[in-house]
Amino acid sequence: MTLKPSQSNSCRYGGCTLTGALSVTTHVRDAVTVVHGPAGCTHHNFSLFHATSLDNDAPVIPNLVSTGLSETDIIFGGEPALDRTLDSVLPSNPGVIFVLSTCVVDTIGDDIAMVCGKERGVLVVPVPTAGFIGGTFEDGVNKALIALAGMAEGSRGTNARSAGNQNPGNHPVSANIIGEKNLEYELVENYTEVNRLLSAIGCPVNCRFVHDLTSARIATLGDAQVNILRDPALVPVGEYLKKRFKTPYIRSFPIGLGSPVFLETVAEVCGAESRDAVARELALQVETLGTFADLRGSTISFAPALVDPKAVSAAKQLARALDMPVRKNGLAVPLPTTPPVGIAGVRRLLHRWRRAIHA
Amino acid sequence: MPECTNPLWSCAMTGAASCLAGFRGLSVVIHGSSGCYYYPATLLHARLYGTFILENEVIFGTEDRLKEVIESLPGDTRIAVITTCVPSILGEDIRSMLSDQDVILVDSPGFIGDVEAGYRTALATLAPVVDPATSGINIDGASLFDPFSRGNVQECTRLLGIAGVPVGTIFAQDALHKVWKAASFTIGTNEDFRSGVGTYLGGMLGFSEIQATFERIAGVYADADIDPVCREITEERERVIYACDKYLRRYDPPTVAIFAGASYAQFAAELLNRYLDATILCVRTRNEPPPGGRYPAARIAGLSDVRACIGQYEPDLVIGSSFERSVCPGRAFVGITPPLRGRVRLAHQSLAGIGGTLHLTEDVLNACMDRKPAVH
Repeated sequence: MTLKPSQSNSCRYGGCTLTGALSVTTHVRDAVTVVHGPAGCTHHNFSLFHATSLDNDAPVIPNLVSTGLSETDIIFGGEPALDRTLDSVLPSNPGVIFVLSTCVVDTIGDDIAMVCGKERGVLVVPVPTAGFIGGTFEDGVNKALIALAGMAEGSRGTNARSAGNQNPGNHPVSANIIGEKNLEYELVENYTEVNRLLSAIGCPVNCRFVHDLTSARIATLGDAQVNILRDPALVPVGEYLKKRFKTPYIRSFPIGLGSPVFLETVAEVCGAESRDAVARELALQVETLGTFADLRGSTISFAPALVDPKAVSAAKQLARALDMPVRKNGLAVPLPTTPPVGIAGVRRLLHRWRRAIHA
Repeated sequence: MPECTNPLWSCAMTGAASCLAGFRGLSVVIHGSSGCYYYPATLLHARLYGTFILENEVIFGTEDRLKEVIESLPGDTRIAVITTCVPSILGEDIRSMLSDQDVILVDSPGFIGDVEAGYRTALATLAPVVDPATSGINIDGASLFDPFSRGNVQECTRLLGIAGVPVGTIFAQDALHKVWKAASFTIGTNEDFRSGVGTYLGGMLGFSEIQATFERIAGVYADADIDPVCREITEERERVIYACDKYLRRYDPPTVAIFAGASYAQFAAELLNRYLDATILCVRTRNEPPPGGRYPAARIAGLSDVRACIGQYEPDLVIGSSFERSVCPGRAFVGITPPLRGRVRLAHQSLAGIGGTLHLTEDVLNACMDRKPAVH
């Protein structure tokens, strides 16, 4: 990006709503996602997801079907193209069909809900996206997650929990992971770290909502005792799930050295024991920081970049923990695009700092 | 285009950006949404600017936003604005809006076609001019969209250099002002991105074509000494023959399915058939193939077509993009088609020129030997 965003127009740079929603729907493996718009929009996203899946060693090809709107469709309306496309994907027997709109079709005013409402013998879920007209990338993620949560009707969890009693029947505890950033380069590593922490307090993952699952799996969404949001931008989704399933939520993955607090909070919500796990985590943090003792005293600065402010806070916390003064004329070290998750994220970041100091 | 599963090729807007962003001294603005901006910005690895328009600008007009962005750009370059789908649909008179600005306006919304169409539109808008006083030979076919483009230009520049021929204008990878001072003759690195500027002397894909092109260069450029190039072709052809012959001493020739732009596809088919006696099972192109190619080609649009084709022909070797690689596990694969994801690529490899033929040959042989095709 070459234009510095101002606070007032930062939503301009929030990415495409369509891409955000696709990052969710393409992870429902038995689904077909229809993108209603020109083929170029679908290609751009398909290519992006293809690249990301290769980065994450998971070369799964998402089923993205474009309605392939031409100039003629744009002039006379794209609804027949959507209707035709929906019919064309039926022979592949998808578990569900998601229909996502692009900014082009919102501009020309196609009635997507009407076309999706036609009976086809398979669930057709329209997700209101519409590119930049629909909002930002994060808006797209939230809209898709909420649309998909609507498929979890009849979940056992709906009636199993009552307010103020998170685990009424002393069922085995479990957690849902909500809104993983499926396009994130460190996706696997961040999940692994959170799963490690949850395992330490005996709280396995119930459902990764939404990462590499089937439409049937979504029905278990209400079974967990707690929802762990990937980051606070997902609070609207957390609130929706809390209202729908009475499941409390944790606002974010643990950032930087915040894992002990994360463990205590999750354990408290689930009614689990955390004291030993917290002690072990604190010891691991001391041990890990000890392996970077050579960085102590190095004067650093943070390379200018468009990053999450919480990533800057986490970096400052790390610098303090290692007695590394942060000065304008210090050696520039990289900031993570998103805050480092847990001690594993801290370790990877400190390796990058060491690399920056050495080379 | 009818409905299509996982479309394989980029839109006209990306094609226009891949042309314009190759010229130094030109600031390229994508007039559209952030989604339209981010894809070419990440794919082309070029500095692009964007208007990142929002809903209220769609309703009330984009003029203020477009002017705001243009006025914030560096003052030492010319400006090109590429319109994307929504501004085109809105039908604003952008040319009038910018009448007081020195702006090159390229109307290339994604829905008008594919990447080649956008490239042609952008170059036509620049309106290149041949200047008879300009010495040398132009090189065309360069596009930031093509991962081999930079390597192609380097290799063709090298070959022209050893023949003592100056390089004219490189389309589209040069200083902007040279667009209007092009030389009278042109050679091509990739005919899918022909400039149409000057008299075309031929392409640079494959030994025979390179040789013929340089012979034509000698015919029009009196100071050219093409003997060193011809000697290098002879020497390197012998190396290719030796390597392919050694391969054939142990293995059957591969059966091949090729998925690429029309120009590279014909080059690969010709190379593999001639030197490796490969059976070309099918040639499927991203763009419309020109009529009359030696290897019959057909255009395909989506990944499901690729999967069906590979399933039908069961080739030993697949040549294509990382899309094709993802649906042909267990088969030998060589990448010549964008995108080439999932690999670290730092060196500027070529397909054009002598080096390009060597590069493709060694990639094919190594890929086939790694897969150890059956000996019958």
